[in-house]
Amino acid sequence: MHISKHLDVISACRFCFMCRHLSPVGNVTCREADTPRGRALMLDRIRMEPSRLAQPSYLESLYAAELSAACRTHCVSHYDEARLLLAARRDAVEAGLAPQAVKELAEELLQVKFKIEGKGEVLYYLDPYAAKQPEILKSFRAIAGDCAILSGGDTGKALLTLGFADEAENVAAKFRDAVKSSGCKMLVTSCPASYHALTNDFPLEGVKVKHSSEFLKEKGLSSGKPGKAYYLDSDYLKNYCGNLTAPRELLATAGYELKPFGTNREESYACGEGAVVYDRLNPQIAEKLSARIRELVDDAKSDVLVTASPYTRHVLKLHQPDLNVVSLEEAILKAKG
Amino acid sequence: MTATKESYLQSMLHGELTWVVGEQYVQTDDADKLGHSIDYYWVPEVWHDRGKELTPPDFVVHPGSAKEVAEVLRIANNYKIPVVPWGGGSGSQGGALPIHGGIILDMKRMNRVLSVDTVSLTATVEVGINTQHMEWELEKRGFSSMHLPASIACATLGGFIAHRGTGVLSTKYGKMEDMIMSLEVVTPTGEIINTLPVPRHASGPDLTQLFLGSEGTLGVVTKATIKIHPIPECRKFHAFLFPTMHAAMAAGAKIMTSRLRPCVIRLYDEPETAHLIKRVLGIDREGAYLVFGFDGQEEMVDLEMKQACALCREQNPEDLGTEMGQTWWDNRYKFFYPPYMFHMPQAFGTLDTVATFANIEKVYWAMKNVVTENFPQARFIGHFSHWYEWGCMLYARFIIDEPPTDPREAIALYNKIWDMAIRAAIREGGVINEHHGVGLKLGRMMKDLYGPAFKVLQDVKAALDPNNIMNPGKMGFPGGNR
Ligand SMILES: Cc1cc2nc3c(=O)[nH]c(=O)nc-3n(C[C@H](O)[C@H](O)[C@H](O)COP(=O)(O)OP(=O)(O)OC[C@H]3O[C@@H](n4cnc5c(N)ncnc54)[C@H](O)[C@@H]3O)c2cc1C
Ligand code: SF4
Repeated sequence: MHISKHLDVISACRFCFMCRHLSPVGNVTCREADTPRGRALMLDRIRMEPSRLAQPSYLESLYAAELSAACRTHCVSHYDEARLLLAARRDAVEAGLAPQAVKELAEELLQVKFKIEGKGEVLYYLDPYAAKQPEILKSFRAIAGDCAILSGGDTGKALLTLGFADEAENVAAKFRDAVKSSGCKMLVTSCPASYHALTNDFPLEGVKVKHSSEFLKEKGLSSGKPGKAYYLDSDYLKNYCGNLTAPRELLATAGYELKPFGTNREESYACGEGAVVYDRLNPQIAEKLSARIRELVDDAKSDVLVTASPYTRHVLKLHQPDLNVVSLEEAILKAKG
Repeated sequence: MTATKESYLQSMLHGELTWVVGEQYVQTDDADKLGHSIDYYWVPEVWHDRGKELTPPDFVVHPGSAKEVAEVLRIANNYKIPVVPWGGGSGSQGGALPIHGGIILDMKRMNRVLSVDTVSLTATVEVGINTQHMEWELEKRGFSSMHLPASIACATLGGFIAHRGTGVLSTKYGKMEDMIMSLEVVTPTGEIINTLPVPRHASGPDLTQLFLGSEGTLGVVTKATIKIHPIPECRKFHAFLFPTMHAAMAAGAKIMTSRLRPCVIRLYDEPETAHLIKRVLGIDREGAYLVFGFDGQEEMVDLEMKQACALCREQNPEDLGTEMGQTWWDNRYKFFYPPYMFHMPQAFGTLDTVATFANIEKVYWAMKNVVTENFPQARFIGHFSHWYEWGCMLYARFIIDEPPTDPREAIALYNKIWDMAIRAAIREGGVINEHHGVGLKLGRMMKDLYGPAFKVLQDVKAALDPNNIMNPGKMGFPGGNR
């Protein structure tokens, strides 16, 4: 079993309560099964008795995890619960035990049709969540100028987080071919999960990959006086990519007065971004995660919430339509006037 | 009766419970029941570790209000089903374990800071709140609860109230029983009551104190008004290394009896200095490590610090300076994370107790001698964590690196150590626990501790909870009827 490569995590987390306050899902469902300890206990049981992997409620809990990795960042020894869960999901898939909803979603994610439109030195990858929100690309273009656009599906990251490792690799190969055919030497994406995928899971040879925040920051934009803003950290940029500081720096350079969101910098405010397609599998929990953001907002009417994640923007817009949530690109465009 | 076996009664009950709290707040799935079958008590942990099945609850219910709690308790009384309140499950005494099945009343949904009174410096809070979340919320408003236990992120306010818990700053800001102004409680028979609004009065015995430490056996605490404090201007630390624990104890006691007001004092005995202080803080010296801190206005802090250091120097310790004190503070929670914390397959227990300065060293030696003389396979280490005007708390630990592999044998050995060590402490003027509570672990010793006075507690329990539904089998009260 893949989980057996992570026995150190199972034995550390199964009796440990030290990061339970940072379980985004556990905090809104109140279920012990939705905490790192609860999940490690289950996986310990499965380690002892692999047939338990077939327990529907165990599987449900595995796929209810939002994979924010906030616990790993917090943990003094950085035990990697997210990686353990990915291994468990892979075990479930390989044993043919993935829940029906997961299988159906995976089937859909396999249907990629990558295409390239337009021309430019830079290839902008329009991930599926950004594709649903035209404001993001529109703002990016208005700031960055013309670029070639790659669209047509996820990089393979979503399949990987669902436990479909081989299928993810196949999709990633198609993605790689599409990038190659563009001839571009730089790929920019607004999606932190894709950025992580293309810099870690499925690296692109000979192509520099940048998150849009890094790219825009390097453009050296002039600053205005756009007022105050609250930046909602992305799980991927903060907990997976070594706490990328570019989004905050970009906002500060653009003249924003950055205010601390919520009560602390440790909690995940990304509404399930770590699991890439979380809202598709767990719409009700995604809604609860968005309600937590609402609870923590200082002034729901006037506060500007900036997110570097198209996924997070999508979930918040859907469930909390009256909150003023904007993408990084929109915020920068506004600052430019 | 209990409803653990699958039966039509279970379906009936499920219907009644969901009627009260809503479908999504009644869980019966194996995944969630597993998480509620183990708390931080070593016995269920070893049971799980050795592949044994745990005792799950029948239902996990998440109430959203005191009214819902009351309704659930009425249902439980009707069918005489055990109800066990659950906060964060981080209790080390097995207090939240559903040993007879029944209903786990998981309080985490009741997690709001309801109001902050900036005139009186109090806050009213639903007690299912995670204490780190509560502290963060108060800090955002410019205040602190000053309740900073190692399990701040693990536990709920209700759990701390139930166990008379304590935080690292207890020496100045008090234990949970000093921090509470008043409580809202749902009694076992489902009445919602409030204790008096202030903790100092001459209006009869103090009901607030009756429920503090009652571990879910006398009702469910739903709301609390706590004291809050301004964030101090500064907090400073100093550490010394004394040649012996005895010399360090004399210095610590002198600081307290001189009526200085440190926010924290912590003294590690020689073995713990050699083991934990070395491992976690990297201070590799022989002796007994003593650290203390003061907080508040800088001028006063500096003055008190100077005087406390002068008292210490009377014993000729090695001065480790402020940095080694600050390092301790910065790493104070690190001790509790894996792999620094003791862990399986080790058997370990925290034998915490409290006594006057006149008795505390006698208690320490009585416990240590009992453990090391009777159980050569066990190590004994300790530190003194919470200091009062009259004495201090001993946080002693025994550790067995290779306990028996058979869980029954391991548990028998474990219990024997507890039986002997705690009774030795009681003989020398100690009590069975200082801040972790009694729970399942120590219930059998309540009669020894209280003597004839235990009947008073038993009578209170019988009067408040005629059907014995609230957390049966804990704190020395009778178990259920399984
Ligand atoms: C790593 C670690 C470090 C720790 N450090 C400390 C420390 O520094 N100081 C300290 O005091 N403790 C410490 N503890 C012990 C533990 O955190 C405390 O005992 C805490 O009070 C337990 O709270 P909980 O919410 O987790 O309660 P639980 O474990 O869920 O329950 C404990 C008891 O309280 C009862 N209860 C819970 N909520 C209610 C309620 N609303 N009404 C009535 N009864 C209720 C339960 O029935 C049970 O009997 C530590 C534990 C861990 C895991
Ligand atoms: S990740 Fe670290 S802090 Fe969290 S449960 Fe595991 S060991 Fe504990």
